Amino acid sequence: MAFSATVRGRGLSHRLLSVLAEVALPVIAIALWWVLSANSTSLYFPPLSKIMAAFQRIWLFGHFDSDAVPSLENLAVGLLIATAVGVAVGMLLGLLPILSDAVLPTVEFLRAVPGVALLPAALLLLGIGPEMKISLIAYGTVWPVLLNTVDGVRGVDPVAVEVGASYRLRRPDRLFRIILPAASPQIVAGMRSALSIGITVIIFSEMVGSTDGIGFQILSAQRNFAVADMWAGIVMLGVLGYVLNIGFRGLENRLLRWHRGMRNSAGS
Amino acid sequence: MTARSLLTDRRDSVTARPWRRPGRTALGPATRFAYRIAAAVFALVLWQVAVVSGLVSNAAVATPTDIVQEAAPLLATPAFGAALFDTITSWAEGLLVSLVVAIPVGLALGTSDLAYRVSRFTIDFLRTIPPVALIPVALLLYGATPKMAFALIVFGSVWPVLLQAMYGVHQVDPAMWDVARAYGLRRLDRLRFLILPSAAPFVATGVRLAATISLLLAIGAELIGGAPGIGAAITLQQQNGDIPKMWVYVVVSAVLGVVLNLALIGLERRVLKWHSAQRSVVAA
Repeated sequence: MAFSATVRGRGLSHRLLSVLAEVALPVIAIALWWVLSANSTSLYFPPLSKIMAAFQRIWLFGHFDSDAVPSLENLAVGLLIATAVGVAVGMLLGLLPILSDAVLPTVEFLRAVPGVALLPAALLLLGIGPEMKISLIAYGTVWPVLLNTVDGVRGVDPVAVEVGASYRLRRPDRLFRIILPAASPQIVAGMRSALSIGITVIIFSEMVGSTDGIGFQILSAQRNFAVADMWAGIVMLGVLGYVLNIGFRGLENRLLRWHRGMRNSAGS
Repeated sequence: MTARSLLTDRRDSVTARPWRRPGRTALGPATRFAYRIAAAVFALVLWQVAVVSGLVSNAAVATPTDIVQEAAPLLATPAFGAALFDTITSWAEGLLVSLVVAIPVGLALGTSDLAYRVSRFTIDFLRTIPPVALIPVALLLYGATPKMAFALIVFGSVWPVLLQAMYGVHQVDPAMWDVARAYGLRRLDRLRFLILPSAAPFVATGVRLAATISLLLAIGAELIGGAPGIGAAITLQQQNGDIPKMWVYVVVSAVLGVVLNLALIGLERRVLKWHSAQRSVVAA
């Protein structure tokens, strides 16, 4: 009893220490920023207190509904489309090696087109509405999902597929119960890169062709020399990016819990 | 079970049988090459038809034939050469500086457990800030200059290299650390014989990621911030209403991406020829 209590106690204080170690640097950095910038008269680097005041005024929650929510909505819809298309086409290509071998060079080229370079054309074609942003996000993010799905499907253990075939599972069952789950770790990894590309594309598109959104807020603040507002927008993006990443990691853990469990039991 | 379902089931199992390993098809190299060309031509025809038929407005998208016609004279102009040169220079300078900064820092953070823990949250946070968000700051500080593109590229491409270097050090076989300690290897020798060899493939992956990000940011900084280069040329042609010329630059940016990526893969194979991961790739 006493022994397990001390072990638990040590584990707790150890964990506390490691949390402290992680938090120390950001706290020190922010404190330094606060103190060093307190009397700043520089046009470009205003005091942090001013930035935080601007942050509160703009993002909690005056412009949150009008600027952050549309950005997030467009991002979500674009990613959803990219995932649906990428997984469907990726599975098809993964299952048809001859077709994928023929098509992949073309796909590699299309993927190399920087989404940003298509922005002017997308503006001309679709205007400055959400359609333009969603299409651009979908275009930019479909490739990592698609290519990872192809890889994932090709990497499925052939034995599992043959077992399915010899048990005479029907085609949809084989597809959705053997191949798709086995490819899902790769697919999720593709979605993770899609997320960070998507965030970049949405900010780009808002900076160039938009009348709302976080990117628009930041760039228009800069053009009006409202430097504190600009920094507030950047802080907002940092927080949002971090929260989205954490959220995705949570989603990933849920989706792939079975996979991790399997790997651990196989490893031990 | 009806005879029919039995039949279809059997056919299913037959089609599922020839399960091929990645990259191996029963086709010879010449046929494969022909298929690849056919797929590319098919995509081009599809594009041409979509624009000519009016499905996609030709006020926004040029046809492949128009792009080719425009490209020939445009590629010979000094303006094109200058734009290409500016973009490649920004890309190379930004990438190089981020490598010089990120590789040593990443390796150092990887070797020390404490340093890794202390910096983990900060690095995680900084790398999730999309570098595009800093375009306005870079514009304020440097204006529409190559320096602005450079600052942006460094901020964006430092993180993948740093993380990969850190991760690479963590992949050193623990037994090797013990061997190094037992033989009393000095710090520099440990770096030379232990850390660098095992981290190198991971760093190489980071470099390739960073190269893609750098090109994207170079073109983005030019397009939004007006730094000279291909991105600025795209904006300029769009404002002139010269859609085919604009598309020439779009295609050039894609070709640039493909060429740079292939070049880096080639370099990686050469430099890491000794590494088992590379050998198995070459052998496959």
